[in-house]
Amino acid sequence: MDKSTQTEIFFGPNHPGVPGNYGINYNFEGDTVTAAEANAGHLHRGFEKLMEERIWIKNTALVPRICVEEPDINEMVYAMGFEAIGEIEVPRRADYIRSIILELARIQGHIFSIGGNAAGIGQYTIMNWGTLTRDYILDIFEEITGARVYHIYIRPGGVRQDIEAETFAKILDLMNELENERFPDLEKTLFENPNAQKRWQGKAVITKEEAIEMGATGPVLRANGVPHDLRKMMPYAAYDDVEFEVPTGDNGDAWDRIKIARDDMLQSIKIIRQLINKIPDGPVQTDLGNGLKYRIPKGDAYVKIESKRGEYGYYMVSDGSLKPYRVHVRGASTPLGLYGVREYLPGTRIADVPVWAKSLGICPPEFDR
Amino acid sequence: MRNEKELLELINVHLDPPAAEIKRKQNVSVSIKQENLIQALSFLKSHSYQHLSTISCVDWLDEGEFELVYHLFSYDDYINISLKTRIKREPGVFQTAKEIWPVAEFYERDIHEFFGVEFKGNDNLEEMILENWQHLPPMRKDFDTRKFVNDNYEWRDYNGQKHTD
Repeated sequence: MDKSTQTEIFFGPNHPGVPGNYGINYNFEGDTVTAAEANAGHLHRGFEKLMEERIWIKNTALVPRICVEEPDINEMVYAMGFEAIGEIEVPRRADYIRSIILELARIQGHIFSIGGNAAGIGQYTIMNWGTLTRDYILDIFEEITGARVYHIYIRPGGVRQDIEAETFAKILDLMNELENERFPDLEKTLFENPNAQKRWQGKAVITKEEAIEMGATGPVLRANGVPHDLRKMMPYAAYDDVEFEVPTGDNGDAWDRIKIARDDMLQSIKIIRQLINKIPDGPVQTDLGNGLKYRIPKGDAYVKIESKRGEYGYYMVSDGSLKPYRVHVRGASTPLGLYGVREYLPGTRIADVPVWAKSLGICPPEFDR
Repeated sequence: MRNEKELLELINVHLDPPAAEIKRKQNVSVSIKQENLIQALSFLKSHSYQHLSTISCVDWLDEGEFELVYHLFSYDDYINISLKTRIKREPGVFQTAKEIWPVAEFYERDIHEFFGVEFKGNDNLEEMILENWQHLPPMRKDFDTRKFVNDNYEWRDYNGQKHTD
């Protein structure tokens, strides 16, 4: 490489084109990236260490903060890990409610990130629409949990409280509105827009072999025609009771991944309708005794669920005391944000770097945790 | 497609682990001696366990050991394997797995930064998250967060209220 023709540039950590407080340092020649390195560490809050110093129940208020875009998945894996080590059964109604919450969270996350992706190519209207549509779902969350973004609702043994029948009716109304009004608008303005197609088609390609080799999952893997989804492969909550398809693509590019996000939302609507139609009656929380004195036996568990960006896992270790001995977070975008940037970003044109970073769903707090 | 029992048989025959058990449905835990670990990883990778979720490290201070846990998954069997090994806390040196999974380089870098484990063969172990860190690696159990804060920072009074620890 001839150094005299190379320019080094700091993309982020404060840049509208990067997803969060995270930077990519890259070299370019002409307008093509020749080498890139992740620049993480601007966001470190020591979650894992902090968790070791708090009792089990207190961590339920901490874990959602790990990912702003998708807080609920953290509550879910944390609860699942606790239940796996303690061999605790969750009431069936709570399973259903958890799935409903997770699917609502998936829709809000996808619509938000489609907006973010659109902003990355200059389609700011879509970004505003995405934020607005997400807000309708946050309204529902507020009604169910009292909070808009961080719900602290799914907790070991079940969920915090039951959902009223009126709220279910509101959810169904909202699903109809999304399907019949919001999504067709999005289709016309974004997916049928030649500008968007040109900017996304054939860009940021990650092949099936590359994805499996580095451990990338979710839409990145599915964009290559493989329907690998943990909701099907290792069903948790109430996913074994519902029917849905796993959307896939053919080319492994940004365009396919964004179309998968759109199709995923339609599947989520389908799942929510089925769940609400056949939700069983019963309690929503197993009695685990005094919340300040939760104790589970010695043991460890690796639990994982399908977030909107793929496998999201926790490795949890208990030594039988009142606090977790160790919690290790495996974020969905960890391999992409660190290894993927160095290996697969070079060759991209400068204008496509935001397309690359956003369409791969990089969420810095997951590796900078 | 294997089920958990068939997988355990395969592991018991080829890897001869001291301990292997079915933890729960679709979850298998295997403990292995440290000298056999790298070979076990490549054996499992060639038997459809191609997905490395992550590498976890646990500090067992009382036993003077670090436990490294490699989480593998197979898209054929739909089974998760937690492959565990223990290394001595001092000097805390182990082999790299980046020849098998290049992405392991970054997981090891993270463990090196937060636990101080050295991975032989991985030449990219410089700081990634922390900056100019001069103290004990912070995720070790003998790193006391409160003491660190008291030694390095000053408590401030808030609205005329004195800070009480």
